[in-house]
Amino acid sequence: MTDLDHDAQASADPLLAPFTPGMHGNPPELAELTRNDEIVPQVVIPLADVKTREFVEEWHNASYNCYSSGHKFCREVCPVVTETRNESWSPTAFHANVVAMERGELTIEDVAADYVNCTGCGACELRCPNTLYTGDFYRFRTRTVDVVKAARALAVESGVHQEGYRSWNARTAERSHEPVLGEVPVGQDTVRDWADGLGIPVGGETILFVDCEAAFYRTSVPRAVAQVLQKAGYEFGLMGEQWCCGGPAAEMGYVDQARTFAEHNLASWRATGTRRLLVLDPHDYISFTEDYPKFFGADFDLEVVLVVELFAEMIRDGRLVPDVAVDRAITYHDPCRLNKRKGIWKEPREVLRSIPGLRFEDVDRVTQWSYCSGAGGGLAVEKPELTAAISARRLDHAGRLDVDTLVSACPWSERPLTEAGDDVDIDVLDIHELLATSLGIEVGGSRGETGDRRLAQARTGAMGRVRRTKGARGPGDAPSGAGSGDAPGGAGSDAAGSGAGDR
Amino acid sequence: MAFRYEEQMQPPPPQRVTDVAITTHEHVYEVDPRLMERWVLQQAFPNWDSLRIMNARGDHLAWMHAHFAKGVVTGSELLAEVDAEDAAESSERHP
Repeated sequence: MTDLDHDAQASADPLLAPFTPGMHGNPPELAELTRNDEIVPQVVIPLADVKTREFVEEWHNASYNCYSSGHKFCREVCPVVTETRNESWSPTAFHANVVAMERGELTIEDVAADYVNCTGCGACELRCPNTLYTGDFYRFRTRTVDVVKAARALAVESGVHQEGYRSWNARTAERSHEPVLGEVPVGQDTVRDWADGLGIPVGGETILFVDCEAAFYRTSVPRAVAQVLQKAGYEFGLMGEQWCCGGPAAEMGYVDQARTFAEHNLASWRATGTRRLLVLDPHDYISFTEDYPKFFGADFDLEVVLVVELFAEMIRDGRLVPDVAVDRAITYHDPCRLNKRKGIWKEPREVLRSIPGLRFEDVDRVTQWSYCSGAGGGLAVEKPELTAAISARRLDHAGRLDVDTLVSACPWSERPLTEAGDDVDIDVLDIHELLATSLGIEVGGSRGETGDRRLAQARTGAMGRVRRTKGARGPGDAPSGAGSGDAPGGAGSDAAGSGAGDR
Repeated sequence: MAFRYEEQMQPPPPQRVTDVAITTHEHVYEVDPRLMERWVLQQAFPNWDSLRIMNARGDHLAWMHAHFAKGVVTGSELLAEVDAEDAAESSERHP
């Protein structure tokens, strides 16, 4: 008997005739139940503080959707929770806080510091059943990354600052670029120094946008990208007056600053007649495909091209033919903002599989939902020790494989991963650097102090685990523990072999 | 491959699959938003996001099958098995 049985008589098996509101064939007495339905109204929250009320009104539905479900699958893919087991820093808590704020039991001052503990990797959103199994079906998915960004913005608007964030964004505003070199100044006068000697023009229909970390710190990445493009005969220029994309400011809650930067960049592109942006950094790709459309709507009419996808296409159609063997055994780190947040995993693997000489031990993309460098979402700014621990965990995964090199496609991940790799004697290279090498290009530039020191060391002998002097495990130390998000069958397994086959 | 705003913000024209469900992209089904909005505020989904979720769902199911299932059977196979058992029981009772 169901609640819909008005006459309180035992019905026939309701599973044989389920009631679906809206179906034309419904019995009249059931259709009557939904006749007066109205579009769900926006909830009005009776909170005195206007900023908090607006925040709660916007995220009320998303937060109750999480809080009332309580699956908590998110915890086992969250890099912060995996490392700290701190429930106050879990995606569930980030939503529960909103529920508590709605009830007047918490204020943003109480919880602002908790919201620091998120890398914005998107694993929780994707693994949440409310996204993975019903998000597209109900046109309503979990949006933890947006909730965290909104909570951080509310904190900033309310005058609650995290000192690291405040200082970082103040220095970024002052120099129009992030202070990625610490006390060494960065700015407009040096933002193109990475391109010295490459003869790249300024402006044009297509420009290469280089993020702050790559432009000032890991300059080998943009040099590799630019020289590969030149080798393929692809015309491009550098930006007229490039500022930071503004994405990190948006992630840390400094929304007005992010928008100012975005407006500047859009105006600069308009001034140079630019129609297409080549983007090598996954964080920039998020900014240009998610933040800028929110800022400008349909006025953001530029084409955004992710370089690693372009290179995969060029290899496919024969414009690029890697023919210099690379003597390395590698595994690939799926950058969070490509794999989890954009579903881009195939093209980097296409690029890597085209490089002769490489031995590629792949770990499938689903296993890597729980992997992260810890460098995103401003975590490295406020809690570098937690970023380092998350990177060390990522290198521990790599260390269980018979590899000597971890390859990433995200410049921001490469600094902490390189440091963690040094501890276990694993090199960390960028996929664009590796491709350029296999095309016979002398990349030049810098990989940071540790990266440059490691690259200068000659590697001899058989590739793989035996080259490592530290952190090398025995061949029998295969990973285990499917429930922990580790890679069951991850060692030596490729995407198809792990059940997440290529399409 | 490239992101263009105008291509992302409009899904393909919906095809009705039942009284209450539509399909837009291949393999993407959803409750008719006009019905769904009675219960849940509808979010804006750029095309890349709908496709990402749909693809990730298939990836995750394949991953789960690979790691936790001895075998994978379809629902129709199970139903056929149940029907066959029912028929056998019925014939035993009413030979």
